[in-house]
Amino acid sequence: MVGVCPGQAQCFGRSLNKGGYIIISVHTKVEAYTANGPAKRRLKLTRNDWAGYAFSTPLLIGVLAFAIYPMLAALYMSFQQTSGSGLTAQWVGLSNYTYILNDPIFWKSLTNTMYMGVLSMLLGIGVSFILASLINSLKWDLGKNMFKGIYFLPNVVSAVATSLLFSFLFYPDQAGLLNYVIGWFGIEPVGWFTNSQYSRFSIVMMSMWGALGYNTIIFLAGLQSVPRDLYEAAEVDGASGIRKWLHITIPYLRPIFVFMFIMGTIGGMKRFSDVWLIGGTAGNPDGSLMTSVLYIYRSAFLASQMGLATAASYLLFVVILILTMFLMVMNSRKNSFD
Amino acid sequence: MTQQGALAAVPGKRRGSAGQWLIAMILLAGSLVMIIPFLWMVMTSFDWGARLNISFPPKLWPEEPSLKPYRAAFTNIPMTKYIFNSLFISVGVILVSALSALLSGYALSKLRFKGSNAVLLLALSTMMIPFEMTMIPQYLLFSKIGLIDSYWAFYLPALNYAFGTFLAKAFIDQLPSALREAAVIDGARELSVFWRIYLPLCMPIIATMIILLFLGVWNDMLWPLLALKSASKYTIQIGLAMFTYNNGINQQPAIIMAATTVSLIPIVVVYLFLQRYIIESIALSGIKQ
Repeated sequence: MVGVCPGQAQCFGRSLNKGGYIIISVHTKVEAYTANGPAKRRLKLTRNDWAGYAFSTPLLIGVLAFAIYPMLAALYMSFQQTSGSGLTAQWVGLSNYTYILNDPIFWKSLTNTMYMGVLSMLLGIGVSFILASLINSLKWDLGKNMFKGIYFLPNVVSAVATSLLFSFLFYPDQAGLLNYVIGWFGIEPVGWFTNSQYSRFSIVMMSMWGALGYNTIIFLAGLQSVPRDLYEAAEVDGASGIRKWLHITIPYLRPIFVFMFIMGTIGGMKRFSDVWLIGGTAGNPDGSLMTSVLYIYRSAFLASQMGLATAASYLLFVVILILTMFLMVMNSRKNSFD
Repeated sequence: MTQQGALAAVPGKRRGSAGQWLIAMILLAGSLVMIIPFLWMVMTSFDWGARLNISFPPKLWPEEPSLKPYRAAFTNIPMTKYIFNSLFISVGVILVSALSALLSGYALSKLRFKGSNAVLLLALSTMMIPFEMTMIPQYLLFSKIGLIDSYWAFYLPALNYAFGTFLAKAFIDQLPSALREAAVIDGARELSVFWRIYLPLCMPIIATMIILLFLGVWNDMLWPLLALKSASKYTIQIGLAMFTYNNGINQQPAIIMAATTVSLIPIVVVYLFLQRYIIESIALSGIKQ
C-alpha cells in the first residue's frame, strides 16, 4: 500500500515538494540484472546507463542538496553553539540536547503538540470515515458528487485564511458566531482562542474543518475498492448493514486506517502555521499553543540559537520516527484479509 | 444505483427510502457547517458596518453593504502584486518539479540503468524527512550563497520532488516499452524519445502533478516566511499574514475578510473548474494499492 500526504490542512507543513510522505514496499527487480549475465555486471557503463544518470541528475541534485545535506548539516549543528548570525560556532558536545531535555517549555510544547495531534487525528479519522460511508451509501449520484465537492472545499483554503476566518468565528464574546450559536442553548460565551483551557481544542476543531474533506476523499476511494462479492456473501448469510460495515468494510480498509494514523501523527507533530497565526511565537494563551515546531522556529529565528533549534528538530524527528514505527508494528501484528 | 455501499441497507432497502433521506439530511447538515464559514466571510467582507468590530448579532446580510472594505484592503495591502508573486513562484516550482520528476521517472522506468534501484530507494527514503528538519540548514545554505529573499530559494529546492518521481515512474511503467525500442532502433536520441513519444502520453500524470504542486505552493507559509525578507517579494499568504499578524486578536474584520476573500479567489476558481480532477488527484496521491 502506498500513501502520501501532499501537504494539506491536517498535515500542516503545506510544502508539497519537501513534505510528501510515502509508505511503500519496493519490489526490487533483481531478475532484470541477473538476466544480463554476470559478465556484463562489471562496471561497464553503456550508453543506456549514461542516459539514465543524465536524466536522474536533476532529482539527485535536489535530493542531495535539499534532503541529505540538510539532514547531515543539522546533525552537525546540533552539537554546536552558535552566536549572532550563525557564522561563529563552537563545539559543545551534547549540551544542546541536555539543555532542551531539561527545558520545561520543550516538554510543554511536546505535550501540547501530541495532545492536539492525537485529538485531531482520532476525531478527524472517525468523523471522516463516517462521512465517507454515508456519502458512499447514498444512491443519488448527483448528491454524491455535490457532497464530495462541498466537504473537500475547505481543504484548498490556506492555513492563513483559515486562521484569520476562525479568529472571528471563534471570537471570545457573543458577537462570535460559535458563541452566538451556543448561546441558543443557554451556554455562556467561551474564550475559544483566549482561554488556555479551550485553545487547544479550538485549534483541533478549526483544523478538522480544513482536513475532513481530504480524509473523506481517501476513505471514499477505499470504500469503492471493497469487492462487491464480500457483501453479497454476507447478505446470503443474512448479515445486516451495520454488521457488514463492522465486519467487512472496516477490516478491509485497515491499511487505509493505518495510513491515516501514520499521516495524522506525522502531520500533527509538525503543527506550526495555525498556532503561530493564532497564538503568536509565545503560543498564547498561556503557552497552551506552544508546539514543537514553534519551539524550533523560535529558537532558530528569534533567539538565533541554531544549534539548539537543530537539536530540538532531531528530538522531534526521533519522536515522529518512534510513533510511526509503533503504528507500523501494530499494523503488521495481525491481518485478517489477504 | 449499482453501488450498494456499506450503510445503504441499514434502515430500508429501496432507493428513496427513509434511510436514504436520513443520510442525505445528515450530510446536508454537515455541509452547512462546511459552508457557513465561507458565507460569513463573504458577507462580512461586504459589510462596512463591520469595519471596526464584527456586527452583533451575526447576520446573513451585510448591515451596510459596500465595496469599501475591498478598496481599503487593496490600498493597505498590495494584493495584486502578492497574487502575481505567488503565481510566479507556483509556475516556476511546477516547471522545475514536474520536469525533474518526469525525467527521473522515465529513466527509472524505461532505462533500467545500473544503480537505478539505489536512486529510487534514495529518493523515496528521503521523503520521510520532514521539511521542519531540514529548514534551518536549508535557510543557512541559501543565505550563505546569497539567494535568500530571491525566488531561487523556491525554484532550486523544487528539484527534489521525489513523490513526483514516484508518480511518474508508476505511470510510465504502464506505457509500452516497445515505443522506445522501435525509436532507438531507428536511431532516435534518448531525449527526443522522452520528449516526443513519452511526454505527450504523460499528460494525465502531469495534470495531477500540476494540481498537487499548485495547491501546495499556493498555500505554503513556513518556507516563504523564512526565505522572503522584503515586503515587495511576499507571497499572498505571507502578505496576508504580515498585514494582519496580531497574535490572533484581529481587528477590522471587514477589511481582513475582504483581503482573505481575494486571497482565496484564485484557488477556489481553480477548484470549481477542476474539482473532479483535483479530487481524483488527491485520491490517487493518497491511496494506491
